[in-house]
Amino acid sequence: MGCVPVFEERSCLVGGYAGKVLEVDLGTGKIEALPVKEEYKIKFLGGSGLAAQIFFDLFDTNVDPLSYENPLIIMTGPVVGTQFPGTSRFAVCGKSPLTGIWGEGTCGGNFGPELKFAGIDGIVFKGASSTPVYLVIEDDRIEIRDAKDLWGMDNYEVTDFLKERYGKERKPKVLSIGPAGENLVRFASICNDKGDFIGRTGMGALMGSKKLKALVVKGTKKVEVSYPEEYAALRKLLVAKSRDAVVAQSFRSMGTDTGMDLGMMTGDVPIKNWSIGEEFQLSANLGGPSLTEKYLTRNHACSFCPVACKRMVKVDDGAFKTEEGPGPEYETCAAFGTLIMNDDLAGVIKANEWCNRYGLDTISSGAAVAFAMEAYEKGLVTKKETDGLDLTWGNIQGAIELLHKIAKREGIGAILSDGTREAAKRLGKGSEEFSVEVKGLEAPMHDPRGFHGMGLAYMTSIRGACHLMHLCLGVEQGITAYPEAGFQENYVGQSSEGKAEMVKLCEDLGVPCNSLVICEFVAWTLSANDLGEMVRVTTGFDFSLKELLSCGERTWLLKRGLGNMMGVTREDDRLPERILTPLKEGTAAGSIPDVEKLLQEYYEIRGLDKEGRPRKEALLKAGLGDLAKRLHG
Amino acid sequence: MAFTFPSVEWVEEYKKQINLSEGYKKAGATWTAGAVALVTSAKPEIGLNEDVGIWLDLHQGVCREAKVVTAEEAQKAPFCITGDYARWKQVVKKELEPVKGMMQGKLKLKGDLPTIVRYVKASQELVECSTRIDTKFLDE
Repeated sequence: MGCVPVFEERSCLVGGYAGKVLEVDLGTGKIEALPVKEEYKIKFLGGSGLAAQIFFDLFDTNVDPLSYENPLIIMTGPVVGTQFPGTSRFAVCGKSPLTGIWGEGTCGGNFGPELKFAGIDGIVFKGASSTPVYLVIEDDRIEIRDAKDLWGMDNYEVTDFLKERYGKERKPKVLSIGPAGENLVRFASICNDKGDFIGRTGMGALMGSKKLKALVVKGTKKVEVSYPEEYAALRKLLVAKSRDAVVAQSFRSMGTDTGMDLGMMTGDVPIKNWSIGEEFQLSANLGGPSLTEKYLTRNHACSFCPVACKRMVKVDDGAFKTEEGPGPEYETCAAFGTLIMNDDLAGVIKANEWCNRYGLDTISSGAAVAFAMEAYEKGLVTKKETDGLDLTWGNIQGAIELLHKIAKREGIGAILSDGTREAAKRLGKGSEEFSVEVKGLEAPMHDPRGFHGMGLAYMTSIRGACHLMHLCLGVEQGITAYPEAGFQENYVGQSSEGKAEMVKLCEDLGVPCNSLVICEFVAWTLSANDLGEMVRVTTGFDFSLKELLSCGERTWLLKRGLGNMMGVTREDDRLPERILTPLKEGTAAGSIPDVEKLLQEYYEIRGLDKEGRPRKEALLKAGLGDLAKRLHG
Repeated sequence: MAFTFPSVEWVEEYKKQINLSEGYKKAGATWTAGAVALVTSAKPEIGLNEDVGIWLDLHQGVCREAKVVTAEEAQKAPFCITGDYARWKQVVKKELEPVKGMMQGKLKLKGDLPTIVRYVKASQELVECSTRIDTKFLDE
C-alpha cells in the first residue's frame, strides 16, 4: 500500500502546534494534509473543539455513525507534547455509534505526545477500507498497511505484536481496537498501549467500521513553545503544584479508586443498579486502600505526569488469577463492584482485563451487566435467554461470561452490545425504568442524588451522561475550587440552588481542557489562571482566564449545535427515571435534583431556546455565525 | 454549659461525646493505627498565642485519652491534622468536611492518607461528636 513522503514544512506561526493535520482516506488510500484555518487555533485551541469545527465544516451531521461517510477524528492540542503536567492526552471524535449524536473521548497514556513528536496535530480518517488495515507513522513516513494478520487479536496481543515489529531501536506507541471494535459493539473503546482508553461513546466501533485495526507512531521532533523561558519557569511551578496537591497524593497512593470510600460517605457511589444508597462493606472491599494493599504491584504514569494515578496490579491465585497488567480505575471498581453487588476485587480486576483486551468501555459494560442482572432478577430474562448464565446479583463470574458474549455479539450479548437504551427498547416489559442513561450514554459512577449539579451536568453534557467534559466532579465535591473563576468553595451536594451557574462555569472551564488536551485530574490541582498561562506561554496567544472561558463557551455552543443538527432537543436533556427515584437509605436518602429548576435556570444562563438550541444571538456573540445560519436560517 | 474551643474542658467533653457515640464505636471498631492530633494554629488577636494541639488516643472505637498538648508533642502522633482557627471552627460547625478540607489544602495532614481514607466514616463520626458540644468560640 502507498507510502507518503514528506509533507510541506511547518506552516503555523504560533507555538505548541506541529502545524499539520492529516486527512487519510481509507477508501482510496490517499493521504494528504488537511488545511486548517489559522483562526481556528485561537477560537477552538485543538482537541475535541477543533475536531468539532472540522466536522461542522466538512461532514454531514445526518450520516449513519457506522457508515462510510462518518469521519473518525484524532486530535491533539497545543500543550500536548510539552512537559506541562497532565498534557499527554488526545481526543477521538465523530458521530457516536452508541448515542447517534456528537461523540468524543479523551485518553492519557503516550500516543498524543508521540503523534506531536512525529509532527502531526491530528488525523481525520475518511471513508472505510474494504479489508483490515493499520496506519504506520514514522516521522514523515506514513503508510497504510495490511492488517489481515492482526484482525481478531485482542488489544494486548496486537500491541505486543506491533511494538515488536516496529520496535527494534525504539518502541513505538500503539493505538488499537480489540474484537469488540471489530464486531461493532456500540460501546467499544480504543486502546493506547494496553492501559489507556478512549472509553466512552463507542469510538472503537467507529474505528472498527473503517476496518482500521491500529495506528503505530514513532516521532523524533520537538514541540516548540512561544516563550521558552517562561515555559520552563511555569512548568517547574505547575509540576510541583500537581505533585504536592493532596488529591494528587491521594491518587498516587491509592489511584482514582480512592473515591470509593469517600464517595460511599457522600452518596456518590451507585449501588445495585442505582437502587440502594449505602453499603459500606462493599466500599471497604473495593476501595483504593484494598486495591493498593492486596493487588498493587507498582504505580504507572502517563507521559510527563507527576500524579501517577495509574495502577499496575496482579492477582496471584484463585479463580481470577491475573498476570501483572493495567488495573481498574474507580469507575471500573464501581461498575463491576457496587453497581452489580460484587465485593470481590479480584473479580473486578479480571473483568477489567477482559474489557481492556476486548476493547470495551468499562462504564457502559458494567451498566449493561447491571441492567441484565436486574432484568434477570425481575424474571424478564431467564437462563433460557442467557444460554444458562446465572446473572444473580454479585455473580462476577457470570458478569465476565456475559462480557464474552457482548464482545462477540452472541445471544443476549448481541442485544446488550447496542447499549442499554437499545436493549431496553428490545426487551420492553418496563425495563426502560432501569436503563440508566442520558442521550444513550450509560451514566458513570457518580450519583446525582448526592450531587445535584452532577445531575444537571449529565443532562446538558454534549455527549450524554458524562462526568468528565466539565469540572463538576471536582468542584461540587470540594476536591478542588477555582474562586478566581467565580466558583464558590463549598457547594452543598444535595442542593439544586446555584447549581445552574456552577455547571455552566464548570463546562466553560472544563471544555477547554478537552481542547488543550489536559487531564481533568491534573486540572484539579491547578488554578484556572494556570490553565490560561499554559496556553499563553505555549502558543503565544494573549490568553487570559477570560479568553479561556470564552473559548469554552464557544466550543460548548458549537458542539451543542452539532448535537441539535444530529437530533438533540430539550426533551433529551433529562435524567433517567431511576435517578429521579429517591433512595431510602444513605447520605442522599430522599434527595433528588430539582430538574425543572435546574434546566430552567441553566437554559436562561446558557442562552438556549425552548427547543434546546443555542439562541442566534448567543451564537453570533460567540463568533459562530455559520452555525447560527445552519440552525436558525 | 458552653466550653471554649480549644480548652482542657472542651477536650474532656469531646472525649465524653466520642465514647457516648454508637456511630463512632462502630465505624472506628477496627482502628488500631494510633493517636490522632488536631493542631490549631496560633491567632494572637483572639487570644490564642501559641499553636494548640488536641491529642486523641483512639483505639478500636474508643477514645482512651484526650488531652491538650503542645504543637511539638502533637507532631509525634501518627496522624496530625493542622489548620487555622477559622477552619477548625468551620469543622466543628459542620461547615467544612475535614477530608474535603484536606483535599482543598485548608487542613494539612501528616500521616498515612490511605488509612484516613479507609476510616473516612469514622472521621465523619468524630466530627459529629464535636458538633454535640456546646462550644464557645474565641472570636465570638
